[in-house]
Amino acid sequence: MNNTMGIIYTTKDDLTLREMTSSRAVAALPVAGRYRMIDFVLSNMVNSGVRNIGVIMQKNYHSLMDHLGSGKEWDLHTRNDGLRILPPFLTRENVGEYSGNIDALRSNAGFLRRSRQEYVILSASHTVFNTTYYDMLAEHIASNADITLMYVKARPSDVDYSVASNDSHAFADVDETGRVLEIEVNPNVASYPNYLMDVLIVKRTLLLHLVDQAYSHGMHDMNCDLLRRYVQAGLLRVHGYEFKGYHRRIETVKSYFGFNMDVINSDVRRELFKKNPVYTKVRDEVPARYYPGAKVENSLVADGCEIAGTVENSVLFRGVKIARGAIVRNSIIMQDGEVQESCELENVIFDKAVTIRSYGRLIGQRQYPIVIGKNVTL
Amino acid sequence: MRKKHCIAMLLAGGQGSRLGLLTKTVAKPAVPFGGKYRIIDFPLSNCSNSGIDVVGVLTQYQPLELNSYIGSGQSWDLDLLNGGVFVLPPYMRGGGGEWYRGTANAIYQNIPFIEQYDPDYVLILSGDHIYKMDYSKMLASHIKNEADLTVAVRPVAWEDAPSFGIMNTDETGRITEFEEKPKHPKSNRASMGVYVFTWPVLRRYLTEDEKNPNSQNDFGKNIIPTMLADGRKLMAYAFEDYWKDVGTIESLWEAHMDLLGEKPVFNLADTRWRIYARNPIMPPHYVGQEAYIADSMVTEGCEVYGSVEHSVLFAGVVVEKGASIVDSVVMPGTIVRKGACVTRTIVSENCVIGENCVVGAPGGPIALVGYSTRLPAGVRVAAGEQTDEDKLNEEAAHHE
Repeated sequence: MNNTMGIIYTTKDDLTLREMTSSRAVAALPVAGRYRMIDFVLSNMVNSGVRNIGVIMQKNYHSLMDHLGSGKEWDLHTRNDGLRILPPFLTRENVGEYSGNIDALRSNAGFLRRSRQEYVILSASHTVFNTTYYDMLAEHIASNADITLMYVKARPSDVDYSVASNDSHAFADVDETGRVLEIEVNPNVASYPNYLMDVLIVKRTLLLHLVDQAYSHGMHDMNCDLLRRYVQAGLLRVHGYEFKGYHRRIETVKSYFGFNMDVINSDVRRELFKKNPVYTKVRDEVPARYYPGAKVENSLVADGCEIAGTVENSVLFRGVKIARGAIVRNSIIMQDGEVQESCELENVIFDKAVTIRSYGRLIGQRQYPIVIGKNVTL
Repeated sequence: MRKKHCIAMLLAGGQGSRLGLLTKTVAKPAVPFGGKYRIIDFPLSNCSNSGIDVVGVLTQYQPLELNSYIGSGQSWDLDLLNGGVFVLPPYMRGGGGEWYRGTANAIYQNIPFIEQYDPDYVLILSGDHIYKMDYSKMLASHIKNEADLTVAVRPVAWEDAPSFGIMNTDETGRITEFEEKPKHPKSNRASMGVYVFTWPVLRRYLTEDEKNPNSQNDFGKNIIPTMLADGRKLMAYAFEDYWKDVGTIESLWEAHMDLLGEKPVFNLADTRWRIYARNPIMPPHYVGQEAYIADSMVTEGCEVYGSVEHSVLFAGVVVEKGASIVDSVVMPGTIVRKGACVTRTIVSENCVIGENCVVGAPGGPIALVGYSTRLPAGVRVAAGEQTDEDKLNEEAAHHE
């Protein structure tokens, strides 16, 4: 797909994820033991042969930049095209964050204009899934559409209506030919099961034109403003492409916790990692060490871990230490966490480098896990 | 090319025939080690960590896997504008060209490569050993002693000494005598196969050695004895840390066992001296509901549903329910089916150990299952036995 470029839009700090996003963008959120959210959408593009990818960043993009580096882990450190990090630049009208993805695209119109590819895949970074875009692009071309939107058939559990996040929840009415007839944004209860994943394919020149027009009409958000109005007015031919694989949108502590627990399930893991490789920053950790007396069940364990205690139904990120006599259940311990002797943890999320001293006890609720922020010692 | 103070030449051409079926299709330096590494990662990472940024890798035997593994050298931070890692196979030239005839000849044939960097010193390494070593300290000692050659030595058990090149030194550390595999060793200071040469001196000896038709063109047999005889300054550099020659199935297995235990003999986890490797790109490993893992190393992509004790599992290994792995090394991509028992065995890459197979035995010599072997259900492999797909087919043909 060397006639296609990619743009990934990362949102600003999202309060619904509490401490976890206070110092990082959602796209940089660590998930599944060794990844960051953005690894999935970025790998999807790379696995589709997309070689020119811009990542639009906003406030708190430090950890995202640190993670992506030159893009070499994604084979995007090339002479032509490759990974382009697009941080906000401060201008009179721009204070480091955008009021919507249309603003963001307008600010980076130069990148779009200078690129040579015919099509653009525009993707948000709030959903974890594994795919390639070959089928979607073929369908886009065959259907003669102006824009093709990716959607999933949402189960009620997929959508958290209570969240008023920066990314809108949008639903589409799609007829049997795949044509999108109507788009609904942030409904209390959706009229259609077709839940948009905020991934679309459009011709680069058309996107430039649409962004320019939308901005001059005071529009900020692609779903809310542009797509909804243009579809309603019949100004654009919009096609829907159904994605049928595993997907999970992460916007709350509950969905974050739920996703990590999902990955413990072998079927989900197969869907997420066996279809196409998911690339991430390499940390050169040694393999995990199990000491005599370790007892681990139904858990995901990354390299660099040292385990002497008991771990059940949990996800341990790289370099986590679980001391003798400690018990960790239904919990997520991010990179370099340390659970000292005889501690007990249940339904807990530890951000990076959290230490809990010997004999500590922390029991959360399954529906409302305890979140401990980065670098805290308990 | 800008001048370099010191460059490294890594001898990676050997077959490692004592590793039997393990090196049937790959060179010894490409043999997997320690869950996610290959033997060559140790010298390469040592170079990278020691600030040596030009490494020539001399390959000859089964170089395909080694070539693709090294790639651009990115994994070791050796993809540089001025330097990097270079794979150097023998090649044809005006006069005909030939294979590398010996270790010294391999370096001799690459004099043009070395001269590009106009180095003061050349570090000669081999791709056969597991160790973490700061070569820059050895180089500093070589320079301070104004030596022509410095040989890294380490104490070995006296009963093992007859299988090493033994260095006898005076009280200043100067080498007075070198004995290749002596029957009655006078010292237990064995050469580690790590040499620092002052380059102009080495170049002269290599050139002269080439003119001698009776020479085997070998460092240990020819170059070092000649330099000693000429009264050159040869110094020993003592290295006391962990070092293991993994030239045999037994020693390769032992080196893996050295990684285990409450306080491992060889600690890979030391973050001040990381060993780098090409990443397998797999998710974290999964430990199932009824799994049991004790005193073991497990890495990315593994799925463990059975029991693993005192063993090392490499990337992507699957241990099914009811299977048991004890005191063993299971290399990347291998699947151990339900009810199979693997004890004191090295299982190489991409094998399938069929249901209820019994491989190896407690207390016996180490068994080996070669590359991509599919052991049918219920097969027994005795302690110390080596088997692979070809042997299985031969046996099947024999029975018919």
